Amino acid sequence: MTNSDKTTPEHADVLIVGMGASGGTAAKVLSEAGYSVVGLERGPWLTPAKHFSGDEVKFVNRNYLWADPRIAPRTLRMSEDEVAERYPFSMVPFTVGGGTTHWAGWFPRPRESDFLQRSLHGDIPGASLVDWPFRYEHLEPYLTKVEWAFGCAGLAGADKYEPFRSAGYPTAPLPPTKFGKRFYDACNRLGINGFPIPQATISEPYRGRTPTNWTGFWNTYGDPTSTRSSTLTTFIPDAVATGNLELRPECYVREVMVGPDGRATGVLYTDADGRDVVQTANVVILCLGAIESARLMLQSTSSSFPDGIGNSSGQVGRNATFHEYVFAVGLFDEPLDGWVGNYISGGSFEFYETDESRGFINGGFIGASMTGQPGNWILPGRPAWGQSAKDADREFFGRAMKIGNTVHDLPVESNRVDLDPTVKDAWGLPVARITHRSHPNDVALSRWQVNKNAEILEAAGARKTIPVYINEGHSTGNSCHQHGTARMGTDPSKSVLNEWGQSHDVDNLFVLDGSGFPTATGVNPTLTIMANAWRCAEYIDEVYARGREAEIPREHRTSSSKVGTR
Amino acid sequence: MSSSKADWRVVVPETVDDNQPLFFSPHEWSTIEAATARIMPTDHDPGAREAGVVRFIDRYLSGITYIYAAADGSGFLELAGKEAEAWRARIFDMRHTYRCGIRDLDASAAGRSGGLDFVSLSEPEQDAALEELSGANKPDPLSFETDTIAGAFQMGAFDEGLPFFQALLLHTRQGFYGDPVYGGNRDRVGWKVIGFPGPDSLADTISGAYSLRDSYLADYSWPELIPHLRTKEARS
Ligand SMILES: Cc1cc2nc3c(=O)[nH]c(=O)nc-3n(C[C@H](O)[C@H](O)[C@H](O)COP(=O)(O)OP(=O)(O)OC[C@H]3O[C@@H](n4cnc5c(N)ncnc54)[C@H](O)[C@@H]3O)c2cc1C
Repeated sequence: MTNSDKTTPEHADVLIVGMGASGGTAAKVLSEAGYSVVGLERGPWLTPAKHFSGDEVKFVNRNYLWADPRIAPRTLRMSEDEVAERYPFSMVPFTVGGGTTHWAGWFPRPRESDFLQRSLHGDIPGASLVDWPFRYEHLEPYLTKVEWAFGCAGLAGADKYEPFRSAGYPTAPLPPTKFGKRFYDACNRLGINGFPIPQATISEPYRGRTPTNWTGFWNTYGDPTSTRSSTLTTFIPDAVATGNLELRPECYVREVMVGPDGRATGVLYTDADGRDVVQTANVVILCLGAIESARLMLQSTSSSFPDGIGNSSGQVGRNATFHEYVFAVGLFDEPLDGWVGNYISGGSFEFYETDESRGFINGGFIGASMTGQPGNWILPGRPAWGQSAKDADREFFGRAMKIGNTVHDLPVESNRVDLDPTVKDAWGLPVARITHRSHPNDVALSRWQVNKNAEILEAAGARKTIPVYINEGHSTGNSCHQHGTARMGTDPSKSVLNEWGQSHDVDNLFVLDGSGFPTATGVNPTLTIMANAWRCAEYIDEVYARGREAEIPREHRTSSSKVGTR
Repeated sequence: MSSSKADWRVVVPETVDDNQPLFFSPHEWSTIEAATARIMPTDHDPGAREAGVVRFIDRYLSGITYIYAAADGSGFLELAGKEAEAWRARIFDMRHTYRCGIRDLDASAAGRSGGLDFVSLSEPEQDAALEELSGANKPDPLSFETDTIAGAFQMGAFDEGLPFFQALLLHTRQGFYGDPVYGGNRDRVGWKVIGFPGPDSLADTISGAYSLRDSYLADYSWPELIPHLRTKEARS
C-alpha cells in the first residue's frame, strides 16, 4: 500500500470512492485529463495471473471474491412493517475492479424506450415511473467510447432492433457454442432474431491483450488472463499509467465530510491498519455501487444534512431497482457441453418492447447460456440426494442449456435502501437494509418471458423444460444489478442528482454508479453505467472544473450548479 | 506484512498427503463417510466413498488451513485479517453443526434399531434416518416426464448458516465434484462419472493448457445462423 504512513494525505483534485466498473471509468477519464486523482477502494488489489483460476470450490462456493456476509452483512425484508433478516443480497465483489472481476460480461446497449418510461407508459399504479433527464442519443457517443476503450465482442447489424450505433464492435463475436447453435436454430424456426450477445471480452488480439481463456470457468470466476474485459485489467492500469491516479486499496470509506458552507470537503476512511484517515479533495465522486453509495450518503450526516448528505429531498435510497434473473432450463437427449463457453452465446431483443396484448409493459432481453461446472451446474429442482441425484447428474449434466433474462424492475418508491437499525458490520457501522417487493408488472413479465424461453427451448429440441420464475414478488438480488437509489432528474425535490450525476444539494459531490438510474432499463446495466460515468466525468472536466456551466444552453442547465473548483 | 488478500502467503500444509482424520473422531469420520455414501451412492460408477468426500469435509472443518487453494494449486492460502476471523468463526459454527448433526443421526438410528448407531444400520435404514433428518422422502428420479418448477435463487452456493442436512448435501457435492486439490474427487472420479473433462491441475487453467476451444463450433457462418444479416437493412 502506498501512503501508509500518512494520516492526512495530500489534497487531491478529485477523489473517487470505489474502484469498480464506474469508478475505474471515472478514474481513467479524469486522470487522463490531467487531474490528480485519489481512488479509495475498500477491497484488495489482486493480480489476475496470481490470484485467479478455475477453482469451483473457491470461487462459487467459498466466496473468495464475493463479500463475506460476516464482515459486510446486508438485511432484507419485503415491506416496511417487517423486521429485516440477514441476507447476502446482491453481493458484488469488494475488490479493485468491483463486479467486473468475475462477471459474465453481458454488454448490451440500452434501448430508446428505456429512457422514456413515463412518456411511453404514463402513470402505472404502484410504480414511480419517470423519464430519464437525457436520452439514448445523448449516451450513444459514450457507449461507443466504452466499447472501444474497454474492448468487447459483437457483430454490428445482427441485432435487428438495435438503435443507432456510431461504430461497430472492436472484436468479432466469440464462436457459437453447441447450445448457442441450438438457440439460433430454434430462433430461425420461430422467426425470432437471434444474434451474438455483445460481450465484455475480446475474441482476437486487441490492444496488447490476447484471448487465451477457453476454460469455461467464466461467470463468477476471476479470469487469470486478459481475455475478459474488467476495469482491473484495462481502465485502472490506463489511469495508473498517466501517473495521476493514486489508488489506495483496503481503505474503507465511512463518511463524506461536509464543510460549514455545505460543500463536500473529502472523506473519512479506515485503512488496513485500522487507522482513521481524512482525504480532502475539490470534487468527491461516489462509485460504490447503488446499494453502498446510498448507504454512505445516509451515513454521512451533518448539521447541513441531518438525513444524510445530498438528501434534502428524502429520496436517497428510494426507488431502488434490482433485476431478478429468471430463466428456463431445457434438458435434451443429445450432448450440448453445458460447461463449454464464456457463459453466454446467442440472445434476442425480439420481446423487449411493450406489447399491450401481453398484459404488462416492457419485456425481456433473453440470452442462451451455459449451465456450468459439475458442483453447481444449474438444474433447478434437482433431486437433492440418493440414487436419483446421481442419476440426474450422470444423465443430464452436459445435456442442458438455459435461456434467461433479467427482469426490468419497475421503480417503486417504498423499494429502498436504508440503514439497518440493529445489524452492524465488522467495523460497527450500520449495514444496508433492503426493502423490496417486485411490482406486479415484474411478476407478470417474468412469467410470460420464462414461458416464452421454455417454448424456444422446446423448439431447440428440449425434451423437458424447467421454468424459474420470481418467487411471489420476492427478490433474491441474484443478478447483482443495482440501480436507482439516487435518481437523476431535473426537480431537486423529487430527485437526488441532476443529469450529470451531480448532487442537487452539494455541487462538488457526484454519484456515477447505477444509483442515478431513474428507471432500471431491462438490459444488463454495466455498459450503461460505464458510459454514463464517462459522460459525467467528461462534464466534470470540460464544464464543471472550468467553471463553464454558464456556457451550457439554458435548457440543459441545472438549478443548483455552482461555478468551478480550480 | 499486510493482511490484505492480495498478500496472503501460499503454504503447503504438513498434513496435505494425510488420509487420517484431521478433525473428526474415528466414529464421526465413519458416520459422515456412510452418510455421504447414501447421498452420492456407489453403483456401477464410484460414489462419495471412493471419491474421499469425507476427507474433503474433514479438511474443511479442520480449521482455516484448507479454505482456499492457491490459484495454481501449489498450496493453500494463509488467511489473515478480518477474513481469517470470519472464517475461524464460521468453521467453529459449522463444527458444532456437524457434531450435533452426527448425534441426531445416531439418535434416529438408535430409535429405529434398538440401540445401533447410524454406521451399523443397513443402507435402507440409513436412508430412513436421513429422511427423518431432512423431514422429507428420499427424492424421486428426475425424468423427461416429471414436472418441475422452481423459484429464482442465487448463483453461488455458500454454506453460511445452513442446517446440518443442507450443509451435508452441499459439502458432498463439493467433495465429489470440486478440484481434487481439496482432498476429495479422488482421481477425478466425480468428473469421470458425469463426463466433465476437467483440468489436470489448477495451473493448467491459468496457462491455457486446459482449453475447451475445440468444443466451440468450428464451422459456421453468421449469415447462415442469422437470416437478418442477409437482408438489405443489415448490410447497409
Ligand atoms: C456474478 C456477477 C455477474 C455479473 N454479470 C454481469 C453482466 O454480465 N453484465 C452486466 O452488465 N453486469 C453484470 N454484473 C453486475 C456488474 O458487476 C455491476 O453492474 C457493476 O460492477 C456495477 O458497477 P459499479 O461501479 O456500480 O459497482 P462495483 O463494480 O460493484 O464497484 C464498486 C466498488 O466500490 C467499492 N466500495 C464499496 N463500498 C466502499 C467503501 N465504503 N469504501 C471504499 N470502497 C467501497 C467496492 O469494493 C467495489 O470495488 C454481474 C455481477 C455479478 C456479481
